[in-house]
Amino acid sequence: MTQILIDNRKFNAEEGETILEVARRNQIDIPTLCHHEALEAVGACRLCTVEITGEDWNGSTKLVSACLYPVEEGLIVQTRSEGVLRLRQTVLDLLMARCPESTVIRDLATQHGQVTEYQQFTDGSKCIMCYLCVRACAKLGCHAISAVNRGTLKEVAPPFHEHAESCVGCGTCATICPTGHIEMVDTAETRTIWKREFEFVTCKVCGEPLITKAYRDYALENRRLPNDYYTVCSACKKSELSGHFARLSL
Amino acid sequence: MEKTYTVIPKNCTGCRTCELACSMVKGVDGNLGHSRINIYPTGPDRFMQMTCMQCIDAACVSVCPTDALMRNKETDAVEVVEERCIGCALCETACPFGHIHFDELKGIPLKCDLCGGEPTCVRFCPHRALEMRR
Repeated sequence: MTQILIDNRKFNAEEGETILEVARRNQIDIPTLCHHEALEAVGACRLCTVEITGEDWNGSTKLVSACLYPVEEGLIVQTRSEGVLRLRQTVLDLLMARCPESTVIRDLATQHGQVTEYQQFTDGSKCIMCYLCVRACAKLGCHAISAVNRGTLKEVAPPFHEHAESCVGCGTCATICPTGHIEMVDTAETRTIWKREFEFVTCKVCGEPLITKAYRDYALENRRLPNDYYTVCSACKKSELSGHFARLSL
Repeated sequence: MEKTYTVIPKNCTGCRTCELACSMVKGVDGNLGHSRINIYPTGPDRFMQMTCMQCIDAACVSVCPTDALMRNKETDAVEVVEERCIGCALCETACPFGHIHFDELKGIPLKCDLCGGEPTCVRFCPHRALEMRR
């Protein structure tokens, strides 16, 4: 058990916890874009930057990302110091220039009273480089997408911008994307994502699309569930079982 | 667990007040599609209330890659920890009873959490077809 100071208030923290975890547990607001509780922190957005110092640091301070920095005894954290606020504004300023179309960024910028001073990108990209999609894909064990290129050309894409071979078309990347940048088009029979077309497994009773065939195969292989778990849609399962339960309860 | 969520189908008249109560409390704008309980007609004047069984060895829990579905030790209900969910929707297809509905807008699954121990549907059922029994 260690004790740290956040905004002049004393908090207990477990060893190995990050500053962000301690702050969130104690309802201290630190803005984040790339943080997700179930995914490994990468410190991509830099929005959670805080200023730290220690009693024996002779007054020197440093800016660190709260989602990555592990707590240590006697740590003094400032979440709203002048330096922190200035850095947050710069981050938002750049994000506003990169993806002015994104509502998440616009809302955050309004909240912090930030307008961009840079020339805005006009290519319509909404990607904020938070890597939530990349990490979620890795969490599922598919590793179909990753960051490619450097600098302003950096983007998330499958290898060589070609068909993502290890993609199973689960759509998790599109669901988790905070800005709606990842394009996923569903029709009654197919799903198109990352330049690949996936066929749906359809409900054998009503014909509604269920999950993609590749995702079903992935789930059967990796999640150890019986084959018939992926043949009937939820509504049909319920309707079928209601009759069965009624016979049991009579 | 002090009480058990119990359905009594012979008392159910199919009025769907439970669905409405659930969607008002747990859904958005009372959208009936967000209701965690559904009534199915099973014969003349016969209805069956279908809602999460809170399975002991739950398929949704075992299939979740991020442990976003966890059992609440107080109520024994399987609850969705929204912050831990990555929206893979495996739980929806894995549920053998079809009781998980995936909310496309919010990107999280919707499932019965027994309203923290005092289900709203039980309170609103006018015919005592839903009960919390000791």
